[in-house]
Formats: sequence, structure tokens, C-alpha cells
Amino acid sequence: MADPDKLTQRLALLEGGEFSPADLEAIAEEIEDNLRVVAELEEFANDTAWISHQAQPKDRKA
Amino acid sequence: MDDAELLDLSLTDLSWLIAARKVSAAEALQATLTRLKALDDKLNAFITVCAESARADAKRADQEITAGNYRGPLHGIPVSIKDLFEMNGVLTTGGSKILQDWLPERDSTLVEKLRAAGAVIFGKTNLDEFGHGGTSTLSHFGPVHNPWNLDRIAGGSSGGSAAAVAARIGPLSYGTETGSSVRRPASYCGIVGFKPTFGIISRHGSFRGAWSQDHVGLFARTVKDIALALDPVAGYDARDPASVRQDSSAYAERLNENVKRLRVGVLGKFLDGVDGPVRDAFTASSKVFADAGCEIVELDVPEISYAAMTSMLTSSAESAGINRRWFRERAQDYVPHVARGIAVGMAITASEYLTVQRARHRIREAVRAAYDQVDIIAAPTTARAAPPLAQGVQGNGDDSRHASYNQSNLLRFPSMLGLPGCSLPCGIDADGLPIGMQLIGAWFADQTVLNTAAAYQSATDWHHRKPALVD
Repeated sequence: MADPDKLTQRLALLEGGEFSPADLEAIAEEIEDNLRVVAELEEFANDTAWISHQAQPKDRKA
Repeated sequence: MDDAELLDLSLTDLSWLIAARKVSAAEALQATLTRLKALDDKLNAFITVCAESARADAKRADQEITAGNYRGPLHGIPVSIKDLFEMNGVLTTGGSKILQDWLPERDSTLVEKLRAAGAVIFGKTNLDEFGHGGTSTLSHFGPVHNPWNLDRIAGGSSGGSAAAVAARIGPLSYGTETGSSVRRPASYCGIVGFKPTFGIISRHGSFRGAWSQDHVGLFARTVKDIALALDPVAGYDARDPASVRQDSSAYAERLNENVKRLRVGVLGKFLDGVDGPVRDAFTASSKVFADAGCEIVELDVPEISYAAMTSMLTSSAESAGINRRWFRERAQDYVPHVARGIAVGMAITASEYLTVQRARHRIREAVRAAYDQVDIIAAPTTARAAPPLAQGVQGNGDDSRHASYNQSNLLRFPSMLGLPGCSLPCGIDADGLPIGMQLIGAWFADQTVLNTAAAYQSATDWHHRKPALVD
């Protein structure tokens, strides 16, 4: 990961679990991969409406 | 009729014989338990067998039927369920050490409905821990073996259910699907696996993998069996927030094999990387539809190339949320691979999760538009037949989380979007392993999926093939 501080922050989110160094390395690799995936999705979804859970009036069709 | 003949009966035929009192529920159950005892050391498809309560249920069913109180097609039928459905007083482990001694004090809605239909629940099937996996090798209770070749995986996470039905240990089993956990094991085990539209079957009382993608699904050997088994368990349930208010279900009654002029969409660009035998079997299946009068439509929905990554991140974040408390307190009790997966999910931030949901919405709208052009989408279920057990979780080979025209996107988009999907056998490869094809309908077009799948089974005989283990 380019930014070790960022990885440390992410690993702090784990809240629990004792992992071996090898496990932590595998987890860090996947977190790093997820960051790339999210960047791809952010670009893909850029013009998409934000999700909301609006209900419709009972007598009107959505 | 000897035991082998009895176990070879479809649910439809067995149901008819039980209703006509030509076979008793007790006989059907005993044959099933005998088969289970003979094979399960090899398959490891079951975590718990409830022989005693099942015998009592079968006896009650026989008494009711004799008294003229026949409840319907599941009355007296031996049924298994994935071991993440709660069953009052019966061990419910989720395939996990964490729940290895848990005896729930209530029935899940599925179990309630099965009991009301008079089904005889005889066992709880093995799975990837809490449904987190696609191989059924990630169970605290050991891996499930594929009846077609014991050195191959059964697929997951509902691998025990699929292996049981393929090995004729009961004609019917219920499982769940979050990513591909019904369709994939059905494909690898050469049987029919169906998951209805999101919200058709209540998930109340089942352990969640990822709440926005979890479905209850069914395994049987014929599509007609699936329709018969769907009717009694479908329906609105206020205890599941995703449950859908729907008309009374009559999928079996409405089954109609006339698919003339049906528009079948094929996403040809996503077939790159699909093994030759699977591609050949799928091409031959397309011809079956064309011969039945369907119109084959080449579809291009590039947004689906983002489906696998979107689905995987969604389920990763949601499963971390679900497992958070146990993960904090008992991370060491998870299967190690599952624990690592939850850890990765814990590190997904809220804003990232929302970005992923935005992408999901875009894919949903693109697929919605595609269903203006076609009635159903057909595709290979998996890119290859069941991989070797020795390859472990890497064996499926379709876990890419980056956008591409690969087949894993075809496997993932239906459950992520809540579409009805059915995998059914459509070939056998050179190693003697079954190949599956999936049919995906638009939202609430469950009947169309079942009709199309039934039409295919009427025109082919792949569903009559069975593993040498039970031949």
C-alpha cells in the first residue's frame, strides 16, 4: 500500500481478532485491492443518483 | 419397489405415491436414512440427522393421510434443510464452531411452513461457515464431497444440500444464496437449484450472510419438483423486512412448457474464459431453445462487468456488520479463511459501502432496461465443472473483483439484484462431471424462469443422469 498510515487506520477498524503476521499481510493485500475496486466503482457510478428509501403516498403508484 | 427405486423417484412421483397410499412416509424416510447412513461418511453432506423426530413426523403424516387429511405435495416427503435455518430444539450450527452447541428455541419461517405442509425434516446439511464461501470446504465440520467425484468440491455455500439431492438422500433440500450459493452447487452436483425473486421466501429465523442479498432457495432433480416445493414456502412474512406481499403462489399449477416466441438473451461477451466443454454444452442448450420456438437475442449490458466486484464488496461489508460482535469476542473460533474475510469487511468504510450501492443501482437500471429486450437471460452457471477439492477456496477460479467481461459477473449479478434464477444440468464433461446452465428472469418473473427450465427438461434428459455412486 502506498500510504502505510492509511493501512494502519484500516487495520484499526478490525476491532478484534488476533491474526498472525501472514494473515495480517493477506488482509492488508485484500484491503488494498478493495481500495482499487472502490476507486473503479466510484468512477463507474459517478453520474448515478444517490440511493434513498422514499415511500410513496398510499393512493399513488410509484 | 426396492429402496433404490424409491430413492430415484422425483418429488412429484413420490408425492403422488404417498398421496395414493402406495408408498408410506415411513418407508420413504427409512430408505432415505439408510442411504444417508451408507453414504454420508463419504459425502459429509449432513451436520445433524434428526432421525427420531423425523420418524415421529412420518408416522403422523401416514396417520393423517390414512384418515383423509392430506395436506398437499410435501406431506410425508423427506426433506433436508441447510444448517442455518433455526429449528426448535435441534442443533443449528451455521457450520461454525461458534454455534456448535446451539439449540434454538423457535422455528424459522421455512421450518414452520414445512411443518404446516406435513414435510418430514430429517437432517440439516453442511455448508461454508455461516454461508461465507463458494466451495463448502469452509465448514467447521469438514468439507462436503461431490457425489459425482469424491475428490471434487460440491460447491457452496449450500453444498451439503446439493450433494444430498444428487446422491438421492431425499428428493428435496432447501438452502440459501447470497452470491451464488444455490446455483453454483446445483451446477456442480448436476441437479436443479432455484432461487426466487428477493423477498418471495421469508428468511426469518435463518442466519444472515448479507441481508440485502440473502435468498432462500431450493434443490431438487426436476423443475416440476421445484415448483411443487416452492408453493408451500413462498408468501409474505412480516418478520422478514424484505418479504414481499404477493398473490397466493401456484407455481406448480401454472407451469407451462410452451415457450414459443420467448425472447432468450445471451450475453456472449461474458463467455470469455468459459471452458470449452461448458461453452459447447451451453451452445447446444441455446439450440434447444431455438428449436422450441424461442428467439435468441444477443445482449450487451457492459454494466454487468461491474457486478462481481459490487456484489463481493456489498456482502463483505454486510457480513462484517452481521458478525461484528462475535468477531470482536471470538475471532479465533471462525474458520481462518472466513475470519480473514470478515476482517477485510470490517475495514470497508461507510462512504465506500455507499459508493458500492450507487454502482449497484446503476447495474440494476441497466439490467432493468435489458429486460425490455428479452424475457429471460441464459448463461452457463459456472465457467467450469466442479474443481478438485485439493484446490480449496481457489478452485472456483471466478473470484475476480475487478471489472471485466468474465463469467463470475454472470454468476453474481442475479443474487445481487434479487432476480429469480435457476441452474439446471445441461451436459457432462469428459471427466464425467455435470455442467450447468442458468436461466435468469426479471423481477417477479419466477414463473417464466420455471416454465423455460421445465421446457428445457422436457426436451433433454440431462436431469436423468446420476452419479456412479448411486447408480
